Amino acid sequence: MILRRPLLWLILLLAALFAWLPLHGNNVSLREDLILVALAIILTSNLNLMIGYTGYVNFGHIVFYGLGGYVGVYLMTVRGWHLVPSAVTAGFAVSLMALLFGLGILRLRGAYFALATIGVLVAVQSFVSNFEPWGRSTGMYVSFESYAPLGGPRHALWTTYFLIVAVMALSLILSLGIKASKFGLGLFAIREDEDAAIVLGVNATIYKAIIYSVSAFLPAVAGTLMFFKNGTIDPSIAFEFMLSLEGIVMLMLGGQGTVAGSALGGGLYERLRSYLLTSPRLSEFHLVIAGALLLLVIRLAPGGLIGWLYRLVPRSREVIE
Amino acid sequence: MKRFAFIALLLSSCFIATAFSQQTITLGFTVSRTGALNVDSVEQYRGFELWRDQVNAAGGIKAGGKNYKVQFASYDDESNSKRVQQLYTRLILEDKADFLFSPYSSSLTATAAVVTEQNEKIMLTTGAAEEKTYKLGNQCLYQMFAPATQYLTVAIDALKAKDPKATVAFVYEDASFSVAVVTPAKAYAQQQGFNVVFSEAYAPNTTDFGAIIDKVIGSKATVLLGGGHYADGSTLARQLYGHKVPLKMITLLVAPDSPQWAELGDAAVGVIVPSQWEPQSTFKAQYGPSGADFGKAYTAKYNTPPSYESAGGYASGLILQRAIEQAGGIDTAKVAAALNATDVTTFYGRTKFSTQPSEHGLQVGHAIFLAQWQKDKSGKPVKQVIWPLAGKSADLVYPIH
Repeated sequence: MILRRPLLWLILLLAALFAWLPLHGNNVSLREDLILVALAIILTSNLNLMIGYTGYVNFGHIVFYGLGGYVGVYLMTVRGWHLVPSAVTAGFAVSLMALLFGLGILRLRGAYFALATIGVLVAVQSFVSNFEPWGRSTGMYVSFESYAPLGGPRHALWTTYFLIVAVMALSLILSLGIKASKFGLGLFAIREDEDAAIVLGVNATIYKAIIYSVSAFLPAVAGTLMFFKNGTIDPSIAFEFMLSLEGIVMLMLGGQGTVAGSALGGGLYERLRSYLLTSPRLSEFHLVIAGALLLLVIRLAPGGLIGWLYRLVPRSREVIE
Repeated sequence: MKRFAFIALLLSSCFIATAFSQQTITLGFTVSRTGALNVDSVEQYRGFELWRDQVNAAGGIKAGGKNYKVQFASYDDESNSKRVQQLYTRLILEDKADFLFSPYSSSLTATAAVVTEQNEKIMLTTGAAEEKTYKLGNQCLYQMFAPATQYLTVAIDALKAKDPKATVAFVYEDASFSVAVVTPAKAYAQQQGFNVVFSEAYAPNTTDFGAIIDKVIGSKATVLLGGGHYADGSTLARQLYGHKVPLKMITLLVAPDSPQWAELGDAAVGVIVPSQWEPQSTFKAQYGPSGADFGKAYTAKYNTPPSYESAGGYASGLILQRAIEQAGGIDTAKVAAALNATDVTTFYGRTKFSTQPSEHGLQVGHAIFLAQWQKDKSGKPVKQVIWPLAGKSADLVYPIH
């Protein structure tokens, strides 16, 4: 029963803190910092469903985020939909597309699968770059009128923030729920030995396609919210390969296969990059320092920060899953 | 008597202190110190920097009886819009920036505009030519570059004056800026009676243009318009020259503006580039330094001639300085009113902002130049202004070979 798991309450506490901290004293700067942390946690924890739970490295995970952004921004700016139905529709549309792609490429394994995910990213980016209704390479712009139903840009940005925090909490609860379920057990079996799992009765192709599709839903919703807030979307920013790679780095930093690890890795990495970028002394070297620190952590704690914590305090495993 | 003299001295010292009271004005912006936009963005930054240093050396901006020293607050946006809103919020709320300059590129500027609009902060934009950004209902943006639609339409005007029967091919990078430039240019060419015989977009990292060049030859086009950025533009020019494509005119975006273009040797010669500003331009400045003085100061500081991005950066500072002086201080509403009323010629050309609510801040005064690489007397490739005819430094060489 998921309600008995202490981590669920920690997740809710984290979300409440995220919502309350910037609201207290109307701290917009903190809100802007935290929204990027929340986005990093959303992307990392959903990526964890594929890499950490199923053992399949997805290099093209960002495609869900970008496509979600496109579908949502299109529905809002061209069709005049409200933010929330646009985001939810984007989530379902991208999940459906992922399910179809998944049934095809998830028959591949290991490096072949990883390469195929890069192929999906490039193919989708090329399609969008030539798709007239979505503005081809120039993309789409959100007019200031689109913020009007939410009370203008000032209120719209707060609303978007709270929605992103909610999506972050949902991402972590989803990860926890799957981990605690029989379905999750099937995924772990695939991760450990796919052939043995098939012999034991796990329908690996369907399981993998479902989790590939599920891992697309919330990043697509987040894509709509973030690009609405961003004010513009084009293929180069929606399908940025670097962001996909950063997701994998964040996951390795926190500890793949664990719910708390994906949140910790995403949150810490984002805060570190943000701090280095705005630090008057270190900003010139921010990429070098971030890279060196990551190498150090991965060298000293190959199981990520959560793996290191498990080794240090074995009983922490019962609370921090 | 002594007491009276003392009071007079005290009063006069107060007056002197007021007359020269020093204030600081903070200008915030992001620079793409890393990432794909690095080169152009840093050139723009150098323009800001040179302006700041010259203003401060002259005692600051003098407005309303005060001297405002200029200081910068800036961060690296990594050429990525993801962090732009976080950084502009920080610039406004924590660094207390009084005014803002835009990041480089239309996409990053549109993202920053959501925040500046929300905080009602004035932002002068450079390197953001895409018109859409100014048609979203904003009130605080002021565009320094001439809009993107003009980049190739002026080349079509120049062509019409020389050869109205030319057949035109568009070969351009499949990226936001070049598509925004080529789409209206194609329609304009047809409207001007030109036969557009070929049009194809190529992927941003294309290195082999063989197939496209064969199609251009097959189309019997006599003029090629397009390009994108430096890497693809220079490769395209080199391969067009290598294949001896019989073109009478080649106009490429952005890349040929760089001084590096001369390194292409004979392949560089004849190529035309639309430009926001050229060192040879001879505008009679009503305000600020002459083009020659700006060029000299820039070259002395950075050991390289200024590009139009640098000129745009410097001119942004100049236009803001003039608005602050006219407003008599740094009150946002007064400075905005001064910017709205701006119609001035500087070394960079004319600057006037649209005040129509549907396109507030769009640049309506500045116009695009055309520059062509031609051989000087010693046979070295040099850039010459060929359009507008009133400001030309040489005649258009047509056909190229």
